[in-house]
Amino acid sequence: MTSGARVSLVVNGRRREVADVPFGERLLDTLRWRLSLKGTKEGCRAGNCGACTVLVDGRPMLSCLLLTHEANGASVTTIEGVEALSVGRAVVRAFEAEGGLQCGYCTPGFVMALVGHLASPGADRSPAAVRAALEGNLCRCTGYASIVRAAQRAAKEVA
Amino acid sequence: MSYSVRPDALEKLTGQVLYGVDVERPGMWWGALVPSPAAAGRLVAIDASAVADEEAVVVTAADLPRLLPNGSGDPERPIFPSTAVRYRGEPVAAVAAPTLERARAAAARVRVRLDAEAPVEDLDRLFPDWPSPETMRDHPLVNGHVLARFGPVDRAFRTADELFQETYRTSGVHQVPLEPHACVADATGSVWHVTTSTQTPFGCREDTASLLGIPESSLVVEGSWVGGAFGSKGSALLEPYALVLSRASGRPVRLALSYAEEFQLGRTTLPSVLRLETALRNGRVVGRRARLLLDTGASLPGGDFTLGYAAGFLLGPYGAPALEIEGYAIRTHKPPFGPHRAPFIPQVAFAIESHLTHLAAHLGEDPIRLRRATVWTEGQTTTLGQRVGPFGLDRCLERAAEVVRAWRVDLPAGHGVGTGAGFWSTGAGAGGEARVVLTPTAVEVEQSEREIGSGSVLRGVAAVVERVLGLPPSHVVVRYQDTASGPFDSGVFGSRTVAALGQAAEKASRRLLTVLQERAGLRSTPRLAVADGRIVLEAPGTSAPVETLFTDSERRAGRLVVDGRHYGRAEGGIDPSRAVVGEFHPFTDFTAAAHVAEVEVDRELGAVRVVRYHAIHDVGTLIDRRTATAQVEGGVAMGLGEALTEEMLWRDDGRLENPGLLDYRLMTITDVPPIEVEFVEGFRGAGPFGAKGLGEIPIVPVPATIAAAIHDALGRPLFELPMTPERIARALAERTVDRPPVGRGAPA
Ligand code: FES
Ligand code: FES
Repeated sequence: MTSGARVSLVVNGRRREVADVPFGERLLDTLRWRLSLKGTKEGCRAGNCGACTVLVDGRPMLSCLLLTHEANGASVTTIEGVEALSVGRAVVRAFEAEGGLQCGYCTPGFVMALVGHLASPGADRSPAAVRAALEGNLCRCTGYASIVRAAQRAAKEVA
Repeated sequence: MSYSVRPDALEKLTGQVLYGVDVERPGMWWGALVPSPAAAGRLVAIDASAVADEEAVVVTAADLPRLLPNGSGDPERPIFPSTAVRYRGEPVAAVAAPTLERARAAAARVRVRLDAEAPVEDLDRLFPDWPSPETMRDHPLVNGHVLARFGPVDRAFRTADELFQETYRTSGVHQVPLEPHACVADATGSVWHVTTSTQTPFGCREDTASLLGIPESSLVVEGSWVGGAFGSKGSALLEPYALVLSRASGRPVRLALSYAEEFQLGRTTLPSVLRLETALRNGRVVGRRARLLLDTGASLPGGDFTLGYAAGFLLGPYGAPALEIEGYAIRTHKPPFGPHRAPFIPQVAFAIESHLTHLAAHLGEDPIRLRRATVWTEGQTTTLGQRVGPFGLDRCLERAAEVVRAWRVDLPAGHGVGTGAGFWSTGAGAGGEARVVLTPTAVEVEQSEREIGSGSVLRGVAAVVERVLGLPPSHVVVRYQDTASGPFDSGVFGSRTVAALGQAAEKASRRLLTVLQERAGLRSTPRLAVADGRIVLEAPGTSAPVETLFTDSERRAGRLVVDGRHYGRAEGGIDPSRAVVGEFHPFTDFTAAAHVAEVEVDRELGAVRVVRYHAIHDVGTLIDRRTATAQVEGGVAMGLGEALTEEMLWRDDGRLENPGLLDYRLMTITDVPPIEVEFVEGFRGAGPFGAKGLGEIPIVPVPATIAAAIHDALGRPLFELPMTPERIARALAERTVDRPPVGRGAPA
């Protein structure tokens, strides 16, 4: 079968050594099926929906497009670890308050993308910039209205 | 448990909920489907000899007698074809292996030998001219036929001094729930079990059991959390395959679709051609006719519900002195037509509403006034002769006119404002049951539907119970149970959840109050309240913790349980003298909506930007305003996709050209404009407190509304969905449109 090698990651603040990861494996699958972190969602697997967004060294990345070996040594934050970040807590609170979700399948991706944006140094928190930060995330349920309200509330709270 | 808007928000926001795709079982294997490489043809052989993986298990039609207790399942609907294939991608075999990679690798090595035939895919190619009744009478591809008429149709058209005739085309559109279909099945014991992402656990059980020829009692369906459904996750899709794979491998098997498979296999809305004709005499409407050719894919003959249902929508919610509708379901080599949020009705509304918009322009009338002159109101009859109940469309249109007037002030050049309307029916399904469980500290509602996202189960049903009992949201919890332990319910579809399942919960709640009233010896109906974290019974002069009214056994169990059931009324109401040919389906509790959009159209590129949107709805009594508003916002955005970008493109060989989100474009956060949502109340439905359904109506008027706004901006009509930049540019570039509407000159 495919040959693999060990990968070392810091996931949600915890060091994880993962043995025998095939070289072609995507970070999305490692998180979901080897580390049982199912909160990161698999949508299109092609970079079009944003459902799989996680933070890699603080930056939002599509885990379906990232090979696990490329992330070797990196620090990865998934939705399960979002509340450990102060910006993460603010974003979760804002989405809760505004009801910025329906089925919730796109939600981890939106939350991680927004946390990544708002936590970046000197982030532009204007409504247009916040909206642009979420442009790569698709939602089929909400029509984005409640997500926009939540994101704008989060941007204010973080500021 | 207190929450701001939705009880499931925190769990979802922190990645705690498990969807169908997340479910795992110890020792589980992975499944993969082997798709038919051609859309039509005779199956010669399925050869698995090249599968090198010795552990992999391959199942085809030939294996079913060995795997299924009672032979090979439903002979009418075999899960694997054994003679002919019906569409490209149809599963002809399935594979299970210890990992997904190995299952996929093995599936790729199964050789499918076919005598391929040229498939039928395109309605226009099949019927280059509008087919005559003679052509259709014995046509081998006609799967269904409906015809209804009312009034002196022939005379109206014979004596008309002008015939206003247009032809519309609509495309296939996909539900695209973000979570693809996924399930884990276990058929290793005597009772089979499947955990699946479904919007109808009991419907899935019924369908799966019937497909496999097993009794429903030997199958348990457990709903997972559902990552969006929009109709696509109703009856069985993957469950039968996963179960036979589990049976064959002796392991639990997980089967999930990739997005490409989801597009290729999904049962979706398929293309149509619609022709609308209005007969005019001295500028007055004397008759109207609608003709429909609907692609129903590989549906079984007569097996398609949509045709008979869509028929009632073809002429919209408007009367005329003489009416006729006729529709044909056409079999093609696509997957069978499937349920979809208001299946095919946004497309129907696009045609009839655009027809009225164009007619108004032709007659020099105001389009809203023209609609209001003949819109149904309570007590009138529908096209099919059903009596219209409380129906607020006229009020919605009146409000729409005010919005249009306001938006026209200072409208920039290149912008247009338009209105579209629509109606829908509140589904009842077979019925539903719910249990209300009173404990000393909370009320729980036990029922069998998973929340699919809209909030109708977790928030809608809860809100009904809260309202009956007098409790705050923090003390009413809706709980899910699988088909083995939960009460029966028809499913979360057809805008029925709050109206029908909600009624079961309402009845249970009212009975609970009656039981408590009797036990407390009260003269009037009591209410419940919360005091110091405990549930108390309140009535004039009384306030007692509820457990003081429990029987001994209830006290030991810690709960008092009351059941409620609601089974749909026998509807009927279709006038048999109007229904000439075929099977029609009656409507229940009409909902209504009028929408207004402002668009900006780039005349060079044909690109449309939706600037703002206003949706006005009659959904009867509002049960929960925020949830209802969110439903409308989501429905509008989905409708914008159907209006502007979403289109499944099949090639002649039956291959789908755009099976992914790159080429099948959904609306993004930057495409969707601000949406204002407004409800007109006072048109009560039969649901709890006068509620009607809400899940589907928001999408219905959207393509029509956008078309009207584009028409306003350009002065050009559009006759095809979606209204892509190419189609708009073409409409602008040509003096007459691509396929000119017969009987009508060049558009103004
Ligand atoms: S799953 Fe990664 S972008 Fe869609
Ligand atoms: S909430 Fe369902 S996809 Fe966004």
